[in-house]
Amino acid sequence: MIETRLGEFEEVILLLAGILGEEAYAFKIADEFEAQTNRAVSIGAVHSTLTRLEEKGFLESEMGESTAERGGRRKRIYTITAYGQKTLKASRDFKVSLWNQFPGFATIKLIVD
Amino acid sequence: MGPYHKPPAYAKKLLFSFLRNDLAEEVEGDLEERFYSDLKRKSHLRAKLNYWYQVINYLRPFALRKSIVHFNRYDMFQSNMKVAVRSLWRHKASTFINLFGLTVGLSSCLLIGLYLQNEYSFDTFQDNRKRTVRLIMEYGFDGSTEIKRGNYTSTKVAPTFSRTFPEVEAAVRMTDSDVVVWNNDVPITETRFMYADSSFFDVFHYEWLQGNASNALHGARKVVLTQSAAQKYFGNESPLGKTLLTGSDRTPYEVTGVMKDYPSNSQFTFDFLASFSSLGVNQEETYFNANYTTYVLLKNIYDLAPLQEKVTTFMSTEMKGSGATINFLLEPFDQIHLHSPYQGFVPNTSITYLYILMAVGFLILMIVCFTYINLSTARSIERAKEVGVRKVVGADKSQLFWQFIGESTVLCVMSIVLSVGVVMFALPYFNLLTEKHLEMHALTSPVFLTSAFVITMVVSLLAGSYPAVILSGFQPVRVLKGVFKNTNSGKRIQQSLIVFQFVISAFLIVSTIIIQNQLYYIQHKDVGYDREQILVLPMKNKMLEQLSVIKKELKSNAEILNVSRCVSTPVRIVGGYSMRTAEMPENTILPVIANPIDEEYVKTTGLEIIAGRDFSEQDMKDADRDSLSTFHFILNESAARELGWSPEAAIGRKMFLGDHRPGIIEGVVRDFHFESMHQSIKPLVLFTEMRGYGQLLVKIRSSNVPSTVSFVEGKWKQLVPYFPFEYRFLDDDYNKLYQSELQLGTIMSLFAGIAIVLACIGLFGLSSHIVQQRLKEVSIRKVLGASVLDIAAILSGSFVKLVLIAIVIAIPIAYLIIDRWLEDFAYRVAMSWWTFALAGLVVIIISLVTVSFQSIKAAWINPATTLKSE
Repeated sequence: MIETRLGEFEEVILLLAGILGEEAYAFKIADEFEAQTNRAVSIGAVHSTLTRLEEKGFLESEMGESTAERGGRRKRIYTITAYGQKTLKASRDFKVSLWNQFPGFATIKLIVD
Repeated sequence: MGPYHKPPAYAKKLLFSFLRNDLAEEVEGDLEERFYSDLKRKSHLRAKLNYWYQVINYLRPFALRKSIVHFNRYDMFQSNMKVAVRSLWRHKASTFINLFGLTVGLSSCLLIGLYLQNEYSFDTFQDNRKRTVRLIMEYGFDGSTEIKRGNYTSTKVAPTFSRTFPEVEAAVRMTDSDVVVWNNDVPITETRFMYADSSFFDVFHYEWLQGNASNALHGARKVVLTQSAAQKYFGNESPLGKTLLTGSDRTPYEVTGVMKDYPSNSQFTFDFLASFSSLGVNQEETYFNANYTTYVLLKNIYDLAPLQEKVTTFMSTEMKGSGATINFLLEPFDQIHLHSPYQGFVPNTSITYLYILMAVGFLILMIVCFTYINLSTARSIERAKEVGVRKVVGADKSQLFWQFIGESTVLCVMSIVLSVGVVMFALPYFNLLTEKHLEMHALTSPVFLTSAFVITMVVSLLAGSYPAVILSGFQPVRVLKGVFKNTNSGKRIQQSLIVFQFVISAFLIVSTIIIQNQLYYIQHKDVGYDREQILVLPMKNKMLEQLSVIKKELKSNAEILNVSRCVSTPVRIVGGYSMRTAEMPENTILPVIANPIDEEYVKTTGLEIIAGRDFSEQDMKDADRDSLSTFHFILNESAARELGWSPEAAIGRKMFLGDHRPGIIEGVVRDFHFESMHQSIKPLVLFTEMRGYGQLLVKIRSSNVPSTVSFVEGKWKQLVPYFPFEYRFLDDDYNKLYQSELQLGTIMSLFAGIAIVLACIGLFGLSSHIVQQRLKEVSIRKVLGASVLDIAAILSGSFVKLVLIAIVIAIPIAYLIIDRWLEDFAYRVAMSWWTFALAGLVVIIISLVTVSFQSIKAAWINPATTLKSE
């Protein structure tokens, strides 16, 4: 078993943080999560997970520039670390290897980079 | 997006009250962005609600301010808990006593709570209970001033009400009955068989499983089964449209529906619900023949009072010139089970008994709390040093206060957990005792959990606060100097609490003894008839034709002494009749209770004839000549007295029973109790009637009961194959009359026993402490020449004095309260002085034994061991 220390929800949040890039802050990630999964999630829940991911070393964060749209309040922008990238990849490889052993799907060629 | 739409201010306030400062900026920004993006897509309200939702979702450990998570109080709490546990552990004896006491006390309260919850839950599942009323018939005959009330009404009432009063939404007539149902070829008597109008489904709760409720009870011989009845008779097949055979003539009933089993906390309950028209009774004829219960659903609860007035006026015009007055009282449905003097289909519970139970539970808790208070104040000297040191280091009074409350809370929480276990173990036995089906899962209902929590907290505060105040008030200088002694005021409080505990126990014991006395009196008083060794066999009218054969066959066995047919057994005779004599003025009647019997009734039941003679076989035949019948009567003493005759003077007089029974009085029997002892003995007429049936009484010898019963059963199967053989003993019937009293008796004994044990445990704990403190005194007395007996007497004497005071206080209280309970009985025991003396003696002996343990142990001590260390 590959130790990824990554829960399902955590993995999604981590991926979304990577996808959103410069725009990766709690509200946007929560928004994107709802849009992509059709599941409701509170900003607090996402924020809590982001903090945990940061503690685990998968993410780094920094306060962004202040913008007019939120009354001059700054955002905390999260960026994925090299370790985070590596873990994501390990998690995917592990699953792909499982899929390849799964009798019903083993013939389907998954694109692996 | 208007300028007025801003995130809700209170939500923001809430957010900042707990959010970490370093997160404030980003979080507020995020939430605001969310709010404005919501505003674009959703309503203002939705956006605001969502803001609240988001704020509440920030209540997560990572986002909380440190001061909330790691407040100083938390450390103190931890430390208090640690100290509490250590201190409890160190003083194992008093901890054990307290834990045991609290567990027993709380378990008792939980059991009482379960019982109360069950009783209070009666009928609460009925959605229409607030709008439903039961009709109580109030009636009297012209020429008699006596007015009677009862829960029975005639068939005419429900249709008349529906037609006449627009306030009535629906009315339903119901009656229950024992019906023989054939399961293949085996007849089974079903006691949970009920007849009801189809409007049952408009008025009452039901959960439908199969069939169609709207027409299930339309027409005669339709029946709806509960799930368990369906399972019993049809197994897993669908019973819809199938036929059930009932009665000795195998009348077919069509099964038109299946519903869920009816809740047991209901004033009526059944397994079979048959259409009312199956009874084939006349629908409209009369207000008499009142054998049914009528429930009425009002359109509006506020209609009750005006409708009552309308009913009274309506009924007085209806009954004009009929020779009787009848009125109907509307009785709120949800008041019936606990408050009504008239039974439901299921026996009522008197609210008084519930109050008694509540009081008993409360008193037991008080005893337990006092034990805790006494033991912790008695130990206060040992704790004084700890308090002193804590104060010197800087603890303030309130911190110490909470520390001691913490100790009592730890103990309480431990006890409540243990109590739940005890209750789980004890519940089946408690159910046996109370004949209830209380279930554990009622313990997890929110109401129950909250009240258990509240009780735990209240007990911890009540028990913990006095010691906490005392202990936290110590002055460190005095304590640490080492010249600290228990204060006098502390002692006084301890003594008054002991007195109080024993007042409670003595009160409960006195009450229990008197209740048991009254119950013994009821069960052993000569009721005027013999109820031992009499079998009661329910019979059918079809058996009347074979009766002489049945009697002869049964009496062929020498073990069987007499066989009698009657409508009512002497335990409970209810049939109300009116009677007249030739001497009475025109248009006056005497309301009496009457019972059709045969020539062997008096012999079988051992009634004592004090004048005249018993019925003969010829008398019976006289009563069965159609229009030429002459009846014969036996009165009881009360009836003769009521008519102004001595027993001898009554013999040979002519009288009428009802309208069409002329006849002659042949005998007078000594008064006997044919109702419960709550009632005084009323005028009674026993009369000859060939067509009266109901029970067969079989008097047997006591020598070989089982084989005699099986002989009767064999004969029955042979002669009456169409009706199931069932029997009861007459004395069981008798005990059933006093079921709720007997139950109260056992429950009171149980809890009084618990109370005295708890009080003694408290006394035991306290005496051991106090004796410990007086060891030096004891040693000096010994050195000066006191004997072991002297010392034991001195030490025990101080406690016994308190117990004596308690008894003196408890007896008048018990006297006053128990007197009110006894007033409910027309026949009751006198409360004699020896009852109280006995109770007092019991309490003194028990407490003396408890205390002597410690004092004798102290008296045996070698003075040198205690005196050498000063």
